[in-house]
Amino acid sequence: MSQAEASPAGPAPGEVLLKVDNISLSFGGVRALTNISFDVMKGEIRAIIGPNGAGKSSMLNVINGFYHPQEGTITYKGETRRKMKPHQAARTGIARTFQNIALFKGMSALENIMTGRNTVMAHNPFTAAVYLGPAKRSEIHHREVCERIIDFLEIEAIRKTPVGRLPYGLQKRVELGRALAAEPEMLLLDEPMAGMNLEEKEDMCRFILDVNEEFGTTMVLIEHDMGVVMDISDRVVVLDYGRKLADGPPDQVRNDPDVIDAYLGVAHD
Amino acid sequence: MSNQLRIALWALGAPVSVGLIGLLISAMPLIDSNFFFTWGYYLEVVTTGLLTGVLYSLVALGFVLIFKASGVFNFSQGAMVLFAALFFVGFMDKWGLHPALAFLLTAGVMILLAMLIERVVLRPLVNQPAIILFMATIGITYFLDGLGQTIWGSDVFTLDIGLPKDPMFLMEGTFEGGVMVNQFDIVAAVAAGAMVIVLAFLFQYTRIGRALRAVADDHQAALSVGIPLKTIWAIVWSVAGIVGLVAGVMWGSKLGVQFSLALVALKALPVLILGGFTSVPGAIVGGLIIGAGEKIAEIFFGGYIGGGIEDWFAYMLAMVFLLFRPQGLFGEKIIERV
Amino acid sequence: MIYREAGQFKTSYARDGGLYPIRQDRYGLIVLLLVAVFAVPMMSEYWLVTIFLPFLVMAVAALGLNILTGYAGQLSLGTGGFMACGAYAAYKLATAFPDLNIVLVFLGAGLVSALVGILFGIPSLRIKGFYLAVATLAAQFFILWLLNKVPWFVNYSPSGVISAPPRAIFGDIYVTGATATPEAKYLFALAVAALLALAAKNLTRCAIGRSWMAIRDMDIAAEIIGIKPMATKLGAFAISSFYCGIAGAMWAFIYTSSVEANAFEISRSFQVLFMVIIGGLGSILGSFLGAAFIVLLPILLKNAPEMVGLSIPVDVIAHIEFMIFGALIIFFLIVEPHGLARLWQIGKEKLRLWPFPY
Ligand SMILES: Nc1ncnc2c1ncn2[C@@H]1O[C@H](COP(=O)(O)OP(=O)(O)OP(=O)(O)O)[C@@H](O)[C@H]1O
Ligand SMILES: [Mg+2]
Repeated sequence: MSQAEASPAGPAPGEVLLKVDNISLSFGGVRALTNISFDVMKGEIRAIIGPNGAGKSSMLNVINGFYHPQEGTITYKGETRRKMKPHQAARTGIARTFQNIALFKGMSALENIMTGRNTVMAHNPFTAAVYLGPAKRSEIHHREVCERIIDFLEIEAIRKTPVGRLPYGLQKRVELGRALAAEPEMLLLDEPMAGMNLEEKEDMCRFILDVNEEFGTTMVLIEHDMGVVMDISDRVVVLDYGRKLADGPPDQVRNDPDVIDAYLGVAHD
Repeated sequence: MSNQLRIALWALGAPVSVGLIGLLISAMPLIDSNFFFTWGYYLEVVTTGLLTGVLYSLVALGFVLIFKASGVFNFSQGAMVLFAALFFVGFMDKWGLHPALAFLLTAGVMILLAMLIERVVLRPLVNQPAIILFMATIGITYFLDGLGQTIWGSDVFTLDIGLPKDPMFLMEGTFEGGVMVNQFDIVAAVAAGAMVIVLAFLFQYTRIGRALRAVADDHQAALSVGIPLKTIWAIVWSVAGIVGLVAGVMWGSKLGVQFSLALVALKALPVLILGGFTSVPGAIVGGLIIGAGEKIAEIFFGGYIGGGIEDWFAYMLAMVFLLFRPQGLFGEKIIERV
Repeated sequence: MIYREAGQFKTSYARDGGLYPIRQDRYGLIVLLLVAVFAVPMMSEYWLVTIFLPFLVMAVAALGLNILTGYAGQLSLGTGGFMACGAYAAYKLATAFPDLNIVLVFLGAGLVSALVGILFGIPSLRIKGFYLAVATLAAQFFILWLLNKVPWFVNYSPSGVISAPPRAIFGDIYVTGATATPEAKYLFALAVAALLALAAKNLTRCAIGRSWMAIRDMDIAAEIIGIKPMATKLGAFAISSFYCGIAGAMWAFIYTSSVEANAFEISRSFQVLFMVIIGGLGSILGSFLGAAFIVLLPILLKNAPEMVGLSIPVDVIAHIEFMIFGALIIFFLIVEPHGLARLWQIGKEKLRLWPFPY
């Protein structure tokens, strides 16, 4: 929790933002998650790790309201959540990036990031059709917010480029920008550094730490690179075959014999 | 659920539902004293509907074959029906060929067409989004409609391949006056049924059939075991073309060969929705349901709202059905992932 | 004129977000509008009635379909049905309220179509792609059947044909019905089309348009980042049908003056779809280019053989037209899936860099 304590804007340490209890999820016969419980403190960087198919992405999808678990409860900001749709979950301040880049290919980087602000923008077709007054003011105001994000992510040069033409690393960055544009309280990052080279990874780590520090944004991060996980996360949950293997600070998890067997052991083979 | 179980369920459930719907309709005279209902007449309507439905199934089958093997939603299946029928009737009428020869020749034309489509349309569009391919098949539709009529003219051709046309009475002992069905419809249904069985057999037991199924399951995997995708596509389009030819001959004998044939074939679309795009049994069952359903609706209820509801009933039925079961009767429910 | 944006720096986001950020584009549009308003009406009646009126009407319909299919990604084959809806709604409104201003009649027709559009858009909440396309056929066939069967819609006219009543704007300038002058009709249609195009451009460049494109490009991700699928999709259906409805009303009231439901049968839906594909999916300009192309092509085909001294029977020409349409669709999908609008774009980009291509 060093990050949260270090940040002056951060909330009181120890405040739980999200708590998942006994979540079980299956698809037909496949059990993707079995009895998973953990919590996420406000302002922390929480990592979820585990081998392929462990159920990490499914866990994020559950938090997003995209998958509906057969069992278990989710408590977010102190309230036990009823079954909700993804767009409702987004409106409670949860933003997300995806394992396989899910940008809107037909739009430019700027438009993608602007789309991230849809939760706070008005959608009135009548003012939009004439594009005077409120619609124009709103476009300009939100454009300013997005430009700050663009500056922060250092992607000024490509703001008007259709995202399909961007290299992979930049696409990942635009996707982060789209998530940040929602000014989320909690940011779910599904393998934000997968497939990047060392330099790109360093940049991405810096962005994540900066956002966390500057805005106190809570992060839930899935990552395969153990070095990165150990470096930037406050606490780590380890999943394997849909079950929770371990949960705790990076050092403790790293030395957990179960984890070494099931995960690190395999990886080092 | 296993396929056998499902088929058994359908075999049992279908007559029961036909009976139940009949019971419901038989209560109609209570509301409207002019309403005509006898069980014999009801069965006659259902049978006629089912026999038409078989032809819908046949067209739908062409769609399913192509969709399964190439993921292309072939809007031009209807146009292929018309195109094939025009060539068939043209070879017979204008060239005076024997029906069997005309059939073989037309089958050849359809195979040629399939190869051309694969070469000229599909190959350049490979890896494009499905929706682009779909629109390309709308282009094929227009092209075929135009080409067929440019070559053979746009008169209404009567197609007579010597099938019996007289009505015939079944179950005269059980119902007063019996159940009247058209002999032609029965022949058509039998032909269509035979076609379906042959296709199912080919799919299941031949090398090419296995290859086709492999492609349907996973294009990449099929490629990696060395099945040439292009050949496969040309083959399915040929088969779909020949299925279209059979459908065209049947429909053409029934309605005459004319442009409206392409529209009748559009009815195969709601059939597909009902059955699921990838399911051969779905195409068959869907066709039967739509065929019988729209006949019942038209004959017993169409009068109340001005008639002609066959134009849209199938689409509405499919649409309402979709709201409850988006994957169709036989489609698997897929949970998307990100 | 040299096409350059060098030296035109945008000093505010307002300027950068403007309709035509590049000055030459702005001037070009103004010149085009001036020509459309002052020069085109001087042309012969033949040109106005057989080319410009159908072009403007179909461009509005293409805008409608482009909003739904090109921007929101919901494939529809029911455009003809929604156009019919608008035509008949306008007829009922105009005959029931003879004093109602024609502009309000058109708006009303659009709103009625929008409601019907929402109704038939409901399946889009559960189904996608081809399944949806087939479901929209239900709208096409059902609406036409209804209009043909229920005599109330045609005010019990035995022929089933509706004749647009003459209506005027600014007091005494008749713009609809058989008696209006072609010039007045043309200018009215031009005004309607231009305003609707501007509105479409505005809608598509703000939050609503981005939601549509997000749903089109990746619906799951869109929902997870907070876009409401129901409101977005039904909104697209409503606005698209609004446009198609007005196009239908223009067809019945301005272009042909009398019409029966079969004018809007399924081939009309395909015609509009072709315009959108050839012009460019997801492009306002493309809707106009596509409409121009599809309106002009048959006229060209009809006249070209005569010009070179050939005489081909009319029905053969019709069939050849089918073939050419089909072939063109395939050609465009293969060569330039983004349509004429993209070709125009590429041309402009080349010009912008000319004469130094790097
Ligand atoms: N929509 C779905 N339908 C069917 N099965 C699914 C679906 N989503 C996930 N699964 C299954 O659930 C299990 C967990 O998948 P998940 O994607 O959550 O794993 P993961 O930990 O993110 O793996 P990776 O590191 O490969 O991303 C897998 O067996 C997967 O096949
Ligand atoms: Mg994953």
